[in-house]
Amino acid sequence: MKEYSVINTRVPRVDGRAKATGKARYADDLSMPDMLYGALLQSPVAHARIRKIDTSKAKKLPGVKDVVTAQEAGAVKFGVSPARYDETIFCIDKARYVGDEIAAVAAVDLETALEAAALIEVEYEELPVVLDPFEAIKEGAPVIHEDFPNNIGAEVHQEFGDVEEALKTCDLVRTDKFVNKKQDGAFLEPQACLAFYDPGRGLTLYSSTQAPHYVQRTLAMVLGLPIGKVRVAQPCVGGGFGPKASASTLELTTSLMAIRTGRPVKMAFTREQVFWHSRARHQFFHELTTGVKKDGTLVALKNTCYLDGGAYSSFGIATVYYAGSLLGAPYRLPNMKYDGYRIYTNKPANGAQRGHGGVAARAAWEQQLDIIAADLGMDPIEFRLKNIMQRGDITCNDFNMSSLGMKECLEAVRSGSGWDKKKGKLPRGKGIGVACGFFVSGAGFPIYRSETFHSTAVIKLSEDGGTVNLYTPAAEIGQGSDTVLTQIAAEALGVRYGDVKVSSGDTDFGVDLGAYSSRQTLMSGHAVKQAAEEARRQVLEVLSEQLNIPVEEMDIKDGLVLFKKEGVDFSALRTRYIKEHRGWTDPPSGKHFTFVEAARLAYLARGTIVGTGAYKPGELGGKYKGAAVGTSPAYGCSAQVVEVTVDMETGQVTVDKMTDAHDCGFAINRTNVEGQMQGSLSMGLGEALFEEVKFDGGGRVANPTLGEYRIPTCLDMPNVETIIIESNEPNGPFGAKEVGEGAIMPTIPAILNAVYDATGVRINELPVTSERVFDRLKEEKERRKEV
Amino acid sequence: MHLLPKFDYYEPRDIGEACKLLSQLKGSARIIAGGTDLLVNMKKGLLAPRSLVGIGKIPGISEIEPVNGGISIGAHLIIQKLVEFDLIRKKLSVLSRAASVLGSPLVRNRATIGGNIVNARPAADLPPPLIAMGARVRLKSRRQEREVPLDRFFRGPGETVIKPGEILTHIVIDALPPFTGGDYIKLMHRRSLEIAIVAVASRITLDGPDGVIRDGRIILSSVAPKAIRAVRAEKALIGERPSEGLFEHAGQIAATECTPIDDIRGGAGYRCSMVGVLTKRTLSGALREAKGQ
Ligand SMILES: Cc1cc2nc3c(=O)[nH]c(=O)nc-3n(C[C@H](O)[C@H](O)[C@H](O)COP(=O)(O)OP(=O)(O)OC[C@H]3O[C@@H](n4cnc5c(N)ncnc54)[C@H](O)[C@@H]3O)c2cc1C
Repeated sequence: MKEYSVINTRVPRVDGRAKATGKARYADDLSMPDMLYGALLQSPVAHARIRKIDTSKAKKLPGVKDVVTAQEAGAVKFGVSPARYDETIFCIDKARYVGDEIAAVAAVDLETALEAAALIEVEYEELPVVLDPFEAIKEGAPVIHEDFPNNIGAEVHQEFGDVEEALKTCDLVRTDKFVNKKQDGAFLEPQACLAFYDPGRGLTLYSSTQAPHYVQRTLAMVLGLPIGKVRVAQPCVGGGFGPKASASTLELTTSLMAIRTGRPVKMAFTREQVFWHSRARHQFFHELTTGVKKDGTLVALKNTCYLDGGAYSSFGIATVYYAGSLLGAPYRLPNMKYDGYRIYTNKPANGAQRGHGGVAARAAWEQQLDIIAADLGMDPIEFRLKNIMQRGDITCNDFNMSSLGMKECLEAVRSGSGWDKKKGKLPRGKGIGVACGFFVSGAGFPIYRSETFHSTAVIKLSEDGGTVNLYTPAAEIGQGSDTVLTQIAAEALGVRYGDVKVSSGDTDFGVDLGAYSSRQTLMSGHAVKQAAEEARRQVLEVLSEQLNIPVEEMDIKDGLVLFKKEGVDFSALRTRYIKEHRGWTDPPSGKHFTFVEAARLAYLARGTIVGTGAYKPGELGGKYKGAAVGTSPAYGCSAQVVEVTVDMETGQVTVDKMTDAHDCGFAINRTNVEGQMQGSLSMGLGEALFEEVKFDGGGRVANPTLGEYRIPTCLDMPNVETIIIESNEPNGPFGAKEVGEGAIMPTIPAILNAVYDATGVRINELPVTSERVFDRLKEEKERRKEV
Repeated sequence: MHLLPKFDYYEPRDIGEACKLLSQLKGSARIIAGGTDLLVNMKKGLLAPRSLVGIGKIPGISEIEPVNGGISIGAHLIIQKLVEFDLIRKKLSVLSRAASVLGSPLVRNRATIGGNIVNARPAADLPPPLIAMGARVRLKSRRQEREVPLDRFFRGPGETVIKPGEILTHIVIDALPPFTGGDYIKLMHRRSLEIAIVAVASRITLDGPDGVIRDGRIILSSVAPKAIRAVRAEKALIGERPSEGLFEHAGQIAATECTPIDDIRGGAGYRCSMVGVLTKRTLSGALREAKGQ
């Protein structure tokens, strides 16, 4: 393999110091002179017609500068997919969930804003509430959106091969049901934003978002501003995991009030509001039928899924597709049928969350595959290996595995965990389980129909030659894209890591679709690499002219210009550089001509040196309806082995150890790759064992706090052994592809399979609380008594 | 958004001044210790006292001291100290065990033992081991000072016998008889930052290293409006030779003595079953300690 200087290393994060010392500034830390504070009024009821809104008392409160309702905000619809724009800034005729936004206030301080919001009087005519998706599709159920009288907001029917016929040829066919629970993103930083408006320069919004570009487009569309007059920029962002990947009423209202008042306005969610706004993982009800041959060959899969969508579509159109399309692979499966239904209910809208649409499906299927392996008398790893896909394989739904280290991952966790010594040999109460999974490395298409590039980048060399400025609109949300893109720029240009200064997450820098679908390392990485190569070419061209050496006979590495031939005399250029910089410290010396000297001379010859890059995926597979959801330039994959202890008297599950192998194509930053693996595992462990957003009968979130919505603490996380597999993806920059989401796929089913190994009971409903395990153990005991 | 309501703040320098202040402010004042319960409730709008009286500057109520073979614990002691102090770990290990599973390091470094008691939540971690060990609380007001056994202190969720104007100053535990041991187990969803699904504290005293059980206490928490004693299960132990079978039997009785509810943390049926398991296990733990193992 080629020798690299900056990539494939463990350089520290560019933002590490600021974050560790508390100097990093997040949206709620920002403040401006004359700034107003915003507060929202949200519906206390889950379904109601809005009869009347009286804002007069709120307006009269001293210190209040603006009060807005649908009357002021207008009726422009927005959402995520243009096919399902079903939201307006504020409720117009109806409130559809507890938390639906009714009005907002801007005032001189937060106390006043909150007091004023509470003074707004709303007359609700309560309507029947429907919380259960299966109730919602019954004849005569309350209708949530007039356009969808049966409450089915989206449905998908796909078939590849012929599943019914194929099932007839199988030796073993099993049907199982599975259900997860509605999740919360539980990012550390609740959404917050600050907007200000200048009639000449337009609107600026600083927001805690994963997708500045989509927010920019939505703001322009809904507020009726030219796109060029809307700038969206990120301060530091404290995590997103999906729910921050689209524009929200928080951002729209804050902007609206900034425009109306002419003053900066800041507004932030409380933790409760994060739960109400939600847009996190759906609840999925899967029924899977899988057929195999005696020898373990997978033949067919039939997948039916009902999704509890909540009150609006959000990312749900993509979700309902993903819940089907992310099965099949990483196994060679010739026949697959999917029927999916996304149903409106009077609950906070569900959207995208790490492993978008595929996590529950994966958990359901990998557990079923484990049962099938046991029924066939095969080791679960052998069974998987028998069907495993490899580089170059194409799935029945046309996903091209242009690289795929799935087999390598599975073999790595098998030996890394000591599987062969443990499986089937552990005492009761101890168990080991395995699972696999894969994920896209960037959605193949933008969420709106367009031929736009997905990522652009600009590199500008400072005129003195000493600094490489990287301007990328890509979104750093804590996952480390600033670091990885800095490394890519440095490597491609040939300078040191510290020579590159990255600025990111600003729509003024260009177009980048944002931090979702695990796309930025591959897509933004390509754009940055191209921009760096372009800048490098220009510098070398000038050198070539001045030294009379062909460009091909020069290279730049570690900040030095390397000549292929010995004895190049660059002393005249060095003298020129030193003369230019009389009085400056550190005149260049030594036997190598430096990049700094070369970049300065390039500027003197050509003016400012700027390189640009732009990326969009090439032609992708799939001509069928919905092929846009799942086709990707590359796919990452993971295998995990989990070891658990189950307390057979209380049912309590302890995860003792996790061994995880992930194929990220090529690790630009090894520490970041491991960080994503660990983070995915912890999120998966939380969903498997603890996390569930609960509701009372009126549709109010019953546990909108991080006390009662339990994400794992560090004491719940076991030691994780992370194994990086590198399959060199041909479509990725330097061979890199995703790690951010694929790594969560196997976690839940590996835990479920380990719990089964320990106890002999299968759990088909998350989370695996001690009470649920206890009940299943009791049932099993009673069943055995009867037999 | 939850903002703290406005209030006046006082910081008396000694217990006398504090008592005087409380009696002057009558019902409009609240004592604030670590604030980990009080401020949360104030932010939620459940409480809006006009004044808060901080007791952090009062000398003599934040110490752990041996007295006549027993132990006196100042009410203002932060809970982390119960985890760390040798005297507690050696003589009242059941209390330090309970303290070590309360909240998180952040909470343990602010919250006080007094606040945990006076707050009177049905799932609070410190009352069960304290009741098991026969603790009394010392209450001081402007006019008098009195001691109340902790198992007669609680009346229901958030309700105690403390009167307005009274300050809890000390928790007193008399010398424990020889061959006494205790244990506390808190069943939690996750490992930290948890309110108990069910918790049980047990204590037994043997009449000799291999003797019969002379005295036994079983305190059930999170299964009734306040921590309760499983009286019939306790009776079943007295005079018996300790054994797994006996403890299992006591657990089965205890499971019938609680009145849990279904709530967001767990179902009533599961809680009853767990009372049985945890009673058995804590009795075994207490036995090991009583035998000095
Ligand atoms: C995140 C979090 C996690 C938690 N986890 C747990 C847990 O696992 N287990 C658990 O049991 N609790 C838990 N708690 C609750 C809380 O921390 C404890 O109850 C704590 O011990 C209260 O002590 P404090 O000093 O903070 O009391 P404060 O909040 O200051 O006071 C509580 C009440 O006691 C009164 N008071 C305090 N001191 C005195 C005194 N000396 N005399 C008279 N009245 C007094 C106050 O007026 C107030 O009514 C948790 C709280 C939080 C915020």
